[in-house]
Amino acid sequence: MMGLGVSLKLAWRAIRQNLLTSWITVFTVALAGGLFLGAWKTNQSVRLAFAQSACGFDAVLGARGSQLQLVLNALFHLENSPGNLDWSHYEMIRDHPVVSEAYPFALGDNYLGYRLVGTMPEMFIEHQWKEGENYQVLPPGRIFSENAKEALVGARVAERLGLKLGDRFHPYHGLEYSPDRKHEDIYLVVGILQATGTPSDQVIWIPLMGVQRMEGHDPEEANSISGVLLNLKGSSGLALDVKYNKQGDQATLAWPVPAILSSFFNRFSWLERSVAALALLMALVGGLIILASLRSTMHERRREFAVLRCMGASQSVVTGSILWQSIILSLFGALGSLVFYLLLSLTVSSIIHLQIGVGMDLPLFDLAALYTFLGILLLGLLSAWLPTRQLYKTSLQETLQPSG
Amino acid sequence: MGLLEVKDLKKSFLSPAGKMEMILHVPKFSLEGRAQVALEGASGSGKTTFLTFLAGVLPADSGKITMDGHSLHLLREAARDQLRAQEIGYVFQSFNLLSGFSCLENLTLSMNLAGQSDLEHAHALLHAVGLQDRRNHRPHQLSIGQQQRVAIARALVNKPKLVLADEPTGNLDPANTDRSLSLLRSLCEEWESSLILVSHDARVIRQFEQNIRWEELNQIKRDEEFSQIQEDLA
Repeated sequence: MMGLGVSLKLAWRAIRQNLLTSWITVFTVALAGGLFLGAWKTNQSVRLAFAQSACGFDAVLGARGSQLQLVLNALFHLENSPGNLDWSHYEMIRDHPVVSEAYPFALGDNYLGYRLVGTMPEMFIEHQWKEGENYQVLPPGRIFSENAKEALVGARVAERLGLKLGDRFHPYHGLEYSPDRKHEDIYLVVGILQATGTPSDQVIWIPLMGVQRMEGHDPEEANSISGVLLNLKGSSGLALDVKYNKQGDQATLAWPVPAILSSFFNRFSWLERSVAALALLMALVGGLIILASLRSTMHERRREFAVLRCMGASQSVVTGSILWQSIILSLFGALGSLVFYLLLSLTVSSIIHLQIGVGMDLPLFDLAALYTFLGILLLGLLSAWLPTRQLYKTSLQETLQPSG
Repeated sequence: MGLLEVKDLKKSFLSPAGKMEMILHVPKFSLEGRAQVALEGASGSGKTTFLTFLAGVLPADSGKITMDGHSLHLLREAARDQLRAQEIGYVFQSFNLLSGFSCLENLTLSMNLAGQSDLEHAHALLHAVGLQDRRNHRPHQLSIGQQQRVAIARALVNKPKLVLADEPTGNLDPANTDRSLSLLRSLCEEWESSLILVSHDARVIRQFEQNIRWEELNQIKRDEEFSQIQEDLA
């Protein structure tokens, strides 16, 4: 037990004596581990976050075009609308036996760069954006009325623009903000949505007719919509898929949403593989850094170890001190890598949330973090083993040179 | 039987020419408890190697070393380490204090290696060598003479039965030589430790009543090739 304490004391003292080298080692290992974990986890988290941010919809019906564009436009409020649909499409799909929920939506305007999405007030009453979760309006606000120029503001928009109940604003034409495209209509903020961590937070919701009949819009388009958000009964989208995508030529059904998102991410699989390779390389660098650091301090400590041996230190005390040194550096490096990963994740998630409204869950203490943590410790131990053996064999000869 | 008995100790090393060359052969050596002996010999003649055998740090090729009833040549390495930590003190020419540790810590670490922990004793010993006020100083903050005094205190902190001093005054000026030597000898006497001091300095050797010429102890005669082997080992 005393030997263990001596080993630990020697290791800690060696770290303190080589403080700068130790810090650089810990920082580099933390950086390598953090990037490794980040590359491993962030990709998964982004995929998961996007899959969970589909606001509880199974499918989107829109104008003929790309399914991905439809999903990104309707659910994530990205990209332009592929076109418009006639109101009759909504009525037809609403009454289809496999459809459980159908909410038409219309796009075309913004307020200071945040999209205005026209839809039916029922969506905020009946629809569950997440299992068991309905939209909530912060009191004392309420949902807009179908025929009024009223707005329900997403939590993020309210926060960014400082919009509050009773505020009035002029919408701007188009999905991008342009000061010279202001509409004459004035909208009254009647409610602020409670944050959901989904893209719903990033838009201003108004009545469907508001977008359809906005001053300056083409009267001929007054009966058109951008698409329909759908929930299906069970997983029965095949019939609709055949009807709209295989046989029809007027509309596109984006279904199932997770598969479409997955195909989107698969486009970047080469990037994921590159990042994974880079991450592995970083892990290797981390191990080599510990090895280099130990070998560097080992060179300085050879004399110390030989003296210790003369003082009666056993092989286990000497090797133990090197292993402890490596374990301590690895431990701090592993802890640092979790901190670095957390910072990286927070940065990535805040950027994604800021830009798209998708909230990411990044559990720090999951299996991946545990494996990375243990992996760094193992790398540290392996890195220590070689110098340990080498040192033990050479230290006495080098130091106890015959002087007489 | 004395404290230390050596019989027919031999050691060979591989020479640069690729042949095994015997560099050390000590047929017989013994040391009584509390004895103080000076071992005199030229540099590079194998005295330090002899000390490392006595300390059990390096094993000889053959021969017997009995230390306080323990047959060093029969003990496993771990047991030799333990014996060395508890019963042997080592003083080096270049002091070899652990630079990352204070004076006091150098002593307590030595105690820890022997499985002991007596802070009061460590303080008392530092006081005895006149460095109590420097107990928290690191070696580089001490003068050469002070460093050697700490090294002497460290060698004696476990009240060893045998102290091996390898050219302990080799780096000291005459004043510090006298002071360190006097301190070492008086502390050994006080703790009832035997002392083997290796030196090539006649001035040091003269202060010992009992001194042995290394050339008489070691049956291998020193020559140029032998010196070369020693240098290669270094």
